Amino acid sequence: MWFEKTAKMFDAAFISGDRWKLYIKGLGVTLQIAVFAAILGMIIGTIVAFMKLSVKRNGKKTILAVIANIYIDVIRGTPSVLQLMIMWFIIFSGAMNGILVAILSFGVNSGAYVAEIVRAGILAVDKGQMEAGRSLGLSKSQTMISIIIPQAVKNVLPPIGNEFIVLLKETAIVGYVSLTDLTRAANQIASRTYEPFMPLIGAAVIYFVVIKILTILLEKFERRLRKSDNR
Amino acid sequence: MIIVKDLHKTFENNHVLRGVSYHVHQGEKIVIIGPSGSGKSTFLRCLNLLETPTEGQIWFDGINITDPKTDIDKVREHMGMVFQNFNLFNNLTIMQNITLAPVKLKVMGKEEANENALKLLERVGLKEKADVYPSQLSGGQKQRVAIVRSLAMNPRVMLFDEPTSALDPEMVGEVLDVMKGLAETGMTMVVVTHEMGFAREVGSKVLFMDEGVIMEENEPQEFFNRPKSQRLQDFLSKVL
Repeated sequence: MWFEKTAKMFDAAFISGDRWKLYIKGLGVTLQIAVFAAILGMIIGTIVAFMKLSVKRNGKKTILAVIANIYIDVIRGTPSVLQLMIMWFIIFSGAMNGILVAILSFGVNSGAYVAEIVRAGILAVDKGQMEAGRSLGLSKSQTMISIIIPQAVKNVLPPIGNEFIVLLKETAIVGYVSLTDLTRAANQIASRTYEPFMPLIGAAVIYFVVIKILTILLEKFERRLRKSDNR
Repeated sequence: MIIVKDLHKTFENNHVLRGVSYHVHQGEKIVIIGPSGSGKSTFLRCLNLLETPTEGQIWFDGINITDPKTDIDKVREHMGMVFQNFNLFNNLTIMQNITLAPVKLKVMGKEEANENALKLLERVGLKEKADVYPSQLSGGQKQRVAIVRSLAMNPRVMLFDEPTSALDPEMVGEVLDVMKGLAETGMTMVVVTHEMGFAREVGSKVLFMDEGVIMEENEPQEFFNRPKSQRLQDFLSKVL
């Protein structure tokens, strides 16, 4: 009977030996890495974006802009799995806390993408806004803070949300450095029960639901921002 | 009040201003006309250093503003500018647009700035729009607010960069009326425009710019009725 067989598979994947706890624990690791890496990425990304936008009086790039460019190039030019392995096996080879190393690695990785998002968001604000601010006697930084950044935040929110979703799923590679996140937990259960269907589909559903919730929250937030200034 | 000495401006390989010298006196209304690409907007934008001149000097009230040591932000507090595309701050209400600079730069307190803004808005007939956002205004209304925003700083001179060029025709009049009213208060004005009627009526001097230089200048009557250079005659025959 197919029903009995399915029930048995379900039992093996989730119920017996309290295996469901392993998914929860794995999801905890996934979320922990994703959330803290996203925060770190946003901090790095914002700083790097302003570094890249900095110009000298004569219109030439500053040394900060050059450094920012190199950082973005290196991060975007190499696979994130490799970056993670380099962090884990070379740079922090003696580290005890794997999750911390993963947060650092994903944060540094995400920062490069966030930097480009933030930079694009600032450049997308019409340059007349800066000119108007300056023509009134406001300094560059005063205009940035009061006029440009509030408008840029609205521009960057959708792509930042997207970046966070990508990051959350990208954490599935931490299995390479022997951290047990949601994906690895499902894989371990699959190899113990010799039934990959239920654990893998189960993990996929969990990712999907988490991201769906996140998407709804982001949409709500975005709508609220737009309403607040009637654009 | 504003003295310009041999001003040059080059973009890449494009020599836009080729030696402009001029003296704007207090209370004058200088109207600048000319074909597109003549450098008239660039000239105006050099006056408050939105464009950095490649060569030459600009003096404002005895201060050499082209000197890198001059605090240009301080100078700009006294020079209002109105743009073709209004450039109202999209993230702020009309009231906040007007009071931001005076309060931030400590020209006046918040209360005083609010009162002053309402008074100025009333003068241009937009008092009831104080709490809406720029996106809810028509082009003509936006430009009137932009003029008020500059006036809120109590500037000594107002620069207008084609203030009616981005407007629907039926809205040009309301903006020109505000500018005429402002001229009557004795404000020093430098106006780049295509509105020949305004130049004739309000201008104390009209300048014709072409190929990066001031080709001709005169009082409005003489300027329009007896243009001297061939270029100006051609230009006027096309636009009038």
